[in-house]
Amino acid sequence: MIEVVISALVLASMYGLIAIGISLTWASIGMLNLAQGFIFTAGGYTAWLYAQYAEGWGLEGVGLSAGVLIFGMLGSALAGLFVGAIAFLPLQDRDNFRTRSLIATLAISLIGTQIWLILFGPQNKPLPPVFGEGRIEIGPAGMSYQQLGTIIVASVMLALVILWMRSSRRGLQMRAMMMDPLGAAVVGVSVRSTGMRVLAISGALTGLSSVLLAQVFFVSPTSGVQPLTTGLIISLAGGLGSIPGTVAAAGLIGLAEALTARYLQQSLVPFVLFAIVVLILIFRPRGLGGLLEDVRE
Amino acid sequence: MAILEIEGLSAGYGPVRVLHDLSLTIEPGERLGLVGLNGHGKTTFLSAIVGLTGWQDGSVLFRGEQIGGRRTHGMGRKTPQIVRRGIALAPQGDAIFPGLSVRENLDSGAYTGATWRSRRKRRERILEVFPPLAPLLGQTAGTLSGGERRMVSVGRALMSDASLYLVDEPSLGLAPKISLNLVAALLEIDLGDGAMIIAEQNLPLIEGRVDRVLGMHAGDLKLDVGEALGDVPPAAGVHL
Repeated sequence: MIEVVISALVLASMYGLIAIGISLTWASIGMLNLAQGFIFTAGGYTAWLYAQYAEGWGLEGVGLSAGVLIFGMLGSALAGLFVGAIAFLPLQDRDNFRTRSLIATLAISLIGTQIWLILFGPQNKPLPPVFGEGRIEIGPAGMSYQQLGTIIVASVMLALVILWMRSSRRGLQMRAMMMDPLGAAVVGVSVRSTGMRVLAISGALTGLSSVLLAQVFFVSPTSGVQPLTTGLIISLAGGLGSIPGTVAAAGLIGLAEALTARYLQQSLVPFVLFAIVVLILIFRPRGLGGLLEDVRE
Repeated sequence: MAILEIEGLSAGYGPVRVLHDLSLTIEPGERLGLVGLNGHGKTTFLSAIVGLTGWQDGSVLFRGEQIGGRRTHGMGRKTPQIVRRGIALAPQGDAIFPGLSVRENLDSGAYTGATWRSRRKRRERILEVFPPLAPLLGQTAGTLSGGERRMVSVGRALMSDASLYLVDEPSLGLAPKISLNLVAALLEIDLGDGAMIIAEQNLPLIEGRVDRVLGMHAGDLKLDVGEALGDVPPAAGVHL
């Protein structure tokens, strides 16, 4: 049972980061970013390229690990800005921005997969283990360094982002824009530059998740598809735009996936996840976030 | 130099033309009342000054700098830049941030430039103008009553370091006593060499207490206020 909980926490950490990126992007600029999978892969490949060079220089240990994490986030943040330059800035004040940007990000996602295929080939690329190899035993069960590291790094990153959004001026601007774009414009918050900032931050979170997930799986041209799907499920279940809701949904979905994989079958996971999100949306159209926020419209 | 010099301003949304070629000059220290019935362009006029219309054409000089010009699309794209030059708008419908606290809402008015560092002092000043907000500072703005929301919205505009304040319908939807207090607060604020435009349907609320009243009728400015308020005698057309 403890193993299931640990596994659920690990999954929740990895997918929660992507889901929060999707959720933030949707709430602040109204773009459902289907290119999040492309952004995810960009971070993975950037980290892999860095690892190739770093190992060539004989770098190892903390330097290598920190670099892999940082370059993964950097690569994805840049990919996020790239997506913004194509799907957000030119379309932002046109009619039907939501539909147009949805199609644009879908196109980037499809073309992106082909670009990775051309650049890096179809082979899986492994990343060096960031948290070292080994296990710690806690009572009857144990967890690997990788699992522990994933949970800690993801939680710390998430806490930093939330703290920044709650306490800094830029964070306040972002939250203001999520709640009322007109009000934000009136107090001098530019939707365009704040939107690009959101895309970079969402990208960085996705890049971190990419590196963490690559500790278990590999980086490949299509490795972003499944995280994108799970990220979308979580952000929908959490009520797009609510950070507490998304965190709660990440926990719930992570637990559901861990339980299904442990007691039923791995191949049933997508069915169970989609069933959960459909149920949540039937009974709680605003997702879990609606339960947690005392906002009156 | 005039605070605001508008020349041949037309504006609208899509195929609809709301403002017809109007001109206006506002001098430093002036408080201008803008009266007129619903749908005659008061809100569009204030929005056009900060670029929040569907399209617009005509010169808008703010302290000698051009902030208007011809624009066919991109509603609100230039608004943040214009606002940062020193224009504060309390828009119709308040547009406050429902999930932020009253304190954060007020602080958001001081986003621009150096005002952020002096936000505490500025907030104190706003609380002197609107004492009812003091006990509500920590409360989520989405749970406020209509009058409190309006105070937050106007207070947010006053938080900025603006030299031109645009206040759209301060009394709309408020109980008479509350709107009296709100307007009284607006009229007492020391403008220095800045200026203020108050758009208001309720003429007696501002008549004789601002420096100048202009009527707005069918998208044009009239000196004759009676025409702007239609054939309804003022006493019957107001709800005080």
